[in-house]
Amino acid sequence: METVGKLYRGFLYAMAGIAGVMLVWLMISVIMSVVMRNSGLQPFAWLFTSSEYAILYMTMLGAPWLVREKGHVHIELVTAALPIGMRRVVSRLVALLCVLVSLILAWKGAELLLGNITRNDLDVRAYYFPKWILTIAFPVSFGLMAIEFSRFVFGDNLMHSGEAGIHE
Amino acid sequence: MEWFESLALLLGSILVLMAIGMPVALAFLAANILGAWFFMGGAKGITLLLNNGFGGLTNYALVPIPLFLLMGEIFFHTGLGARMFNAIDRLLGKLPGRLSYVTVLGGTAFSTLSGSSMGSTALLGSLMVPEMTTRGYKKHMSIGPILGTGGLAIIIPPSALAVLLATLARIDVGALLIAGIIPGLILASFYIATIYIQTKIDPSAAPAYDVETLSWGQKMRLLFGDVMPMLSVMVLIVIGMVGGLITPSEAAAFGALGVLILAVLFRCLSWEAMKKSVVGALRVTLMAYLIVFGSATFSQLLAFSGASSGLIRWATSFDLAPVAMLLVMFGVLLLLGMFMEQISMMLLTVPIFFPLAASLGFDPIWFGLIILLALEISFTTPPFGLLLFVMKGVAPKDTTMREIYLSAFPYMGCSMLLVALLILFPQLALWLPGM
Amino acid sequence: QETITAVHAFPESLIYTKSFLEFVDKVNAAGEGVVQIEVRGGPEAIGMFQQPDAVRDGVVDMVYTPGSFYAGALPEKDALVTSNMTAAETRANGGIELIDQIHQEKMGLKYLGWFDSGVCYNLWTRNEPTLDDGGNLDVSGLKLRGNAVYNAFFTDYLGAQVIDLPTTEVYSALERGVVDATGWTQIGLIDLKWNEFLNYRIEPCFFSTDLGTVVNLEKWNSLSEEARTIVQDVAIAHEAESSEKLGAVRDEDFAKLEAAGMKVVTLEGDAADAYLAAATQKTWDRMKGLMAESPQGDGNYDKLIELFYK
Ligand code: NA
Ligand code: NA
Repeated sequence: METVGKLYRGFLYAMAGIAGVMLVWLMISVIMSVVMRNSGLQPFAWLFTSSEYAILYMTMLGAPWLVREKGHVHIELVTAALPIGMRRVVSRLVALLCVLVSLILAWKGAELLLGNITRNDLDVRAYYFPKWILTIAFPVSFGLMAIEFSRFVFGDNLMHSGEAGIHE
Repeated sequence: MEWFESLALLLGSILVLMAIGMPVALAFLAANILGAWFFMGGAKGITLLLNNGFGGLTNYALVPIPLFLLMGEIFFHTGLGARMFNAIDRLLGKLPGRLSYVTVLGGTAFSTLSGSSMGSTALLGSLMVPEMTTRGYKKHMSIGPILGTGGLAIIIPPSALAVLLATLARIDVGALLIAGIIPGLILASFYIATIYIQTKIDPSAAPAYDVETLSWGQKMRLLFGDVMPMLSVMVLIVIGMVGGLITPSEAAAFGALGVLILAVLFRCLSWEAMKKSVVGALRVTLMAYLIVFGSATFSQLLAFSGASSGLIRWATSFDLAPVAMLLVMFGVLLLLGMFMEQISMMLLTVPIFFPLAASLGFDPIWFGLIILLALEISFTTPPFGLLLFVMKGVAPKDTTMREIYLSAFPYMGCSMLLVALLILFPQLALWLPGM
Repeated sequence: QETITAVHAFPESLIYTKSFLEFVDKVNAAGEGVVQIEVRGGPEAIGMFQQPDAVRDGVVDMVYTPGSFYAGALPEKDALVTSNMTAAETRANGGIELIDQIHQEKMGLKYLGWFDSGVCYNLWTRNEPTLDDGGNLDVSGLKLRGNAVYNAFFTDYLGAQVIDLPTTEVYSALERGVVDATGWTQIGLIDLKWNEFLNYRIEPCFFSTDLGTVVNLEKWNSLSEEARTIVQDVAIAHEAESSEKLGAVRDEDFAKLEAAGMKVVTLEGDAADAYLAAATQKTWDRMKGLMAESPQGDGNYDKLIELFYK
């Protein structure tokens, strides 16, 4: 069990790491294409396309890590006004709702992925690119987000602090 | 379902979910699932939601924001930002609230030229708010001016949103862009007046500590050693944009590169600082872009279900005096702006508002500018103004949303005042394009 | 009375959308008491590039969109892109029937009609274009804005430096000199205000618009015989009418542009032939390659070219 947990954590942080690399890639790809264009070369079209894809990967791969870090902004209005016992209940229920949303999207994302594979769907930009390589990010990301939110349902650590205001 | 029932369902669900403490992005997604179920024929609507997210996130227009954030974070974590603000602080002497004024000037210049409200807020927020907080400024003295000037990006040319509005409404692009210059500068001067009033009412809001008088030599050393190099990064990317070497979307990458090079030259680039900068930029980007993912579909649900078009038609169906009608349209934009993003709002309202404006005898350029101002304000209207969340992401940890909302209000008031001025004196907008 | 929900790819201000809304009005007049089309909006209601999937999945019943927005699912749309014929001609010779059949087979969509046909693309430049000794267009000095529709032609044949930009960024890119040439349809330059910066139009024009109305097949089959006949008949009539009407709009636009100083540079003789041949051939090559990769294969390739190109 402990090994599974370790492996899982490693996977989660590896995905966040890739998200960070994608961010740096945005900078590199833009600089390369501008430098090429202004020195009279034709910038590789994949520089442009890859930066558009990088935004998707970055957002989806990093999102579960941000759940763990409590980095998705939320407002504490009701939870701040409640007595501690009730707050615990509401906080866990809200987290449960998040698990539910993530699971629905993971399930529909998996369906979309399978559809993209069987229909042989292509994403058309400068190139014709197999769409499933991109949409695979959905079931993976929302699936992991469901796991991360469920830690706030069952674990000791609550999502809400009880202090009024917006939290990140 | 009648339009008001659809509207109540969509807005009601998102507000309730947010109020009970669901993360904003998840609240959007949950409301979308509900809306897709009701208006898009069940489960297949959820697939569309994912496809929308795919389309919304694989969009080149989103490239600048993480890079402006990265630029600001590197400035901050390498200490280059502190160095520059120390120098500016000492050069400006005893003026209370001096860094707030610097923020307005810098923010106006930068957001105007970059044309990106979110990018500019991201950069200035990550750069100025932590610096100014450590120097004893109350938070609203840094957050307010940044939120205010962020919106100027769409008023003063170049402005992609203004070009899009003119194209959709089939009015003269050049005239609309030029019409924004004088009102934009007036708005910036209102911001300066706001700071002056705030420091008069509450002198403790900005530190008024004494700074030692500097000799000319010392001033020059500060100016050329600590201010000019940092400023030159900004100036160079502006020259690149104006000279046609780079597009505004590309400018952010060169800004980040420029700061990296400076950090190497000043020997303050460490692996640790670099890592912190990337993680910092990543956190805010992820938070904001997952909201983009959810809000894109939410805007579409409002349109597809007929909720927003019903609202617009209802509000414009009354037989009112021209000025009252203008205020109704303005009010509709502000209301939609609390929940929708700017481009969807334009697509939705332009086909109804512009013919109506023409029938009321409004000048289309003047009216276009009023619409732009409503869009500008809606960047910072609670609860969902996108700049508010960007600010929340970059501001110091203990900043509450209440502080951010309160900081934004005086600056929204400035924009409202400007709208009133434009109604009284349309020439403020029309004189320059008529030249 | 039956209802068909619909969305359109472009904003309401665009001439092509107006044409579609005319079609809707005609159906609603002819179909009173039988069938009505209920327009839910444009890209603000369903994203421009998500509309093809939305109609495929049945979220909405009808979509008016360029075929190029679903090129990944139906590469055969390039037959319309490269066509030098109008919808009326290809309706008569069975071309549209074949396209309809391919839509039904590959995407589960009924191809109702090819609207606004007969409009082609020009290359528009800021500076006077230079021609080589053979009269061929020399693009070496151009900063050319491209997109997925014409990149096969621009890069593979012309060898130009293509800069991919979304339509909304082109105005400011022209303003700053990031690009100084772009392809665009014969109509619409004035609406986009790009004529403030572009001074030359290069003839001959190439390609064709590929805007079509598609309907979810299940929905289509569920309609009564009477409703289907009304919608299909109005669509066929609108194919012919819209193409004639746009011809007149183009002539007006050209006259306005010329009055404002737009100059025309025409490639002559062999140079013009080579230019046009490359535009079609490079795009056909792309179509054949993609068709071959799909399970249905490239069996229709020759037939498509025969029916859509004269
Ligand atoms: Na601007
Ligand atoms: Na403002």
